Amino acid sequence: MKRILVWDLPVRLGHWLMVGGFALAWATGDSESLRLVHVFAGSTVMAVAAYRLLWGILGSKHARFASFVRGPRQAAGYLKSLLRARPPHYAGHNPAAGLAIVLLLGLGLASGASGWLTYQEIGGEWLEEFHEFLTGLMLGVVGVHLLGVLVGSLAHRENLVWAMVTGRKLGEPEEAIRGPRVVAALMLLAWTAAAAWWLSR
Amino acid sequence: MQRILIPILLAGSAAAGAATPQQLMQDYTEQAVRQAPGYQPSARRGAELYSRRFAVSEKMPACTACHTDAPAQAGRHVVTGKAIKPLAPRAEAARFTDPAKTEKWFRRNCTEVLGRECSAAEKADFILFLTEGL
Repeated sequence: MKRILVWDLPVRLGHWLMVGGFALAWATGDSESLRLVHVFAGSTVMAVAAYRLLWGILGSKHARFASFVRGPRQAAGYLKSLLRARPPHYAGHNPAAGLAIVLLLGLGLASGASGWLTYQEIGGEWLEEFHEFLTGLMLGVVGVHLLGVLVGSLAHRENLVWAMVTGRKLGEPEEAIRGPRVVAALMLLAWTAAAAWWLSR
Repeated sequence: MQRILIPILLAGSAAAGAATPQQLMQDYTEQAVRQAPGYQPSARRGAELYSRRFAVSEKMPACTACHTDAPAQAGRHVVTGKAIKPLAPRAEAARFTDPAKTEKWFRRNCTEVLGRECSAAEKADFILFLTEGL
């Protein structure tokens, strides 16, 4: 196996935008003076997640949902295999990571939408409570995801955090993607800026 | 039938947070007395707390920044510009009728405006002032 390009730029940029947006939204959740920052950060998460849905269909090989979304049974099977000496290696997302991605995208959209509706004073108090429940759940999934990244990195002796920065992972040469998809990444930036601005008016 | 229905109705009203501001003030008063025997709630202290300028937060130096000098009037969020219903129960009947919500917003807003959580005594004073005025 060699180090090959696996994650295109929209995947990586979207990932780190979501990290930043979620962290900022979480940090400012209780603050009234930073309310606009909170709404903008949450809107960023929502906008990136929405783009990712489209990119999961139109994106490069390892970005497409069809290439990595598996059922919970396969995810559990992969997690069990981590306990053994040689877990199966995936060039793209492993089945457990695939499950985390689906959950985080879903929760990013749902917590963003519930927060936005609360901010627009549509939906009332139950929605505000629901928003807090969803973001708490999302933090929990983030925690499990981080643990999975740590365990996966150790099991495969591969720095998966750095792979999400450079896009390069271990794999067979024929599994590599051809290019980083710069134009789609610029479109992601433009879309996210516009959508987050519009949502936080 | 009644033995079944009454607990259900009671549970329903508790879930909806159906308390009165007087009950909430009484709860906080009892807490405050446990901490400092002889404590009695005071609307004057509540008014002083309401209008005191803590200046911990630049944009929200005091309660009045958003809730205005007159808590029976509608306020305005100083950052988002959104309207805020009156804080005083005499103008907005739903205020201070849900213990969990009351605790949540005391925690959030005291931390931001005072730079610390409010004591039970301060909460009782505050609710007394907002309920009865001076």
